[in-house]
Amino acid sequence: MTPDEDARGVVPRRTVLRGVGAIVAVTGLVAAGCARDDGPDELEAPLAAARSDAAAATAAAAAFPQLAASLTPVADARRAHADALAAEVRRARPDRATAVDAATAPTLPPAPPPASAAAAVSALRGSLGTARDAAGALALTTASYRCGLVTSIAASCAGQATVLA
Amino acid sequence: MTTPAPPPSLSDELRDAAFAALGTEHAAIWVYGLVSAFLPPSTAAGVAAASLAHRERRDAVVALLARSGETPPTAAAAYRPPSPVTDAASAAALAVVAEDDVAAAWRAVAERTEPDTGAEWRRLALDAVTAAATTSITWRGLAGETPPVPAFPGDGAAS
Repeated sequence: MTPDEDARGVVPRRTVLRGVGAIVAVTGLVAAGCARDDGPDELEAPLAAARSDAAAATAAAAAFPQLAASLTPVADARRAHADALAAEVRRARPDRATAVDAATAPTLPPAPPPASAAAAVSALRGSLGTARDAAGALALTTASYRCGLVTSIAASCAGQATVLA
Repeated sequence: MTTPAPPPSLSDELRDAAFAALGTEHAAIWVYGLVSAFLPPSTAAGVAAASLAHRERRDAVVALLARSGETPPTAAAAYRPPSPVTDAASAAALAVVAEDDVAAAWRAVAERTEPDTGAEWRRLALDAVTAAATTSITWRGLAGETPPVPAFPGDGAAS
């Protein structure tokens, strides 16, 4: 959308986005040098939640084919969230890369499949709502260069939960 | 409820991002006025709710900017849609563009805030990106766009 004649004070969106990319790149490099190296990264919890949701959505879509059309996009989005969060942890906290990679291997037996399609959707909707709230809370406290990513993930989870409502 | 302390003056980057976000709210309000005539009557309540949400956020941004001593830009008289609106699908597609613009501008605001000083801006940004992602579900469906929810609303990939 562009203002139709006199663009009073409106920054073109492309310009805005380019500026954001540059800021993220610069602050990311600075942050990599001073990241805390004790305990898990704050993004590991949302990372685990994203992986869990992706697995649950994939399993439910396989068990209940009538859900595939609605749950496959959820699985895809949560997998994309996990990939982005894992990449950020590896970048900022190389000491946690091993833990992040190891967590992809299943350490627990898979949860029993939901008893019904409705139960599967209900469980996933609840899990997405929890992820939305957790990411939303983190977005208020995290560093600037992570705030956009976490805000987007919270918003995406809110949308996914709405689709399943 | 307590009255929050006046926010500190904004950095140039945050002020510019907030002005841009306000511009997308103005544009979205204008868009909903245009597309409402083309969308099916069953969506009238959704259009009204979305339009109201953008007007409320516009007012919140103007108030927050004023408390920081900034004079916000006013709305343009009209906007140029990227493609003509001729039917329900093209009207819904334009609503998607407006919501994606809002999400991108507000994500940019979030990235220009500090955790200790930017709480109010971050809450507005979170609410705005979240509302854009949920509101646009209906419009994406009417426009025939998939997926119904972007993985990263506001990252610019969806538009």
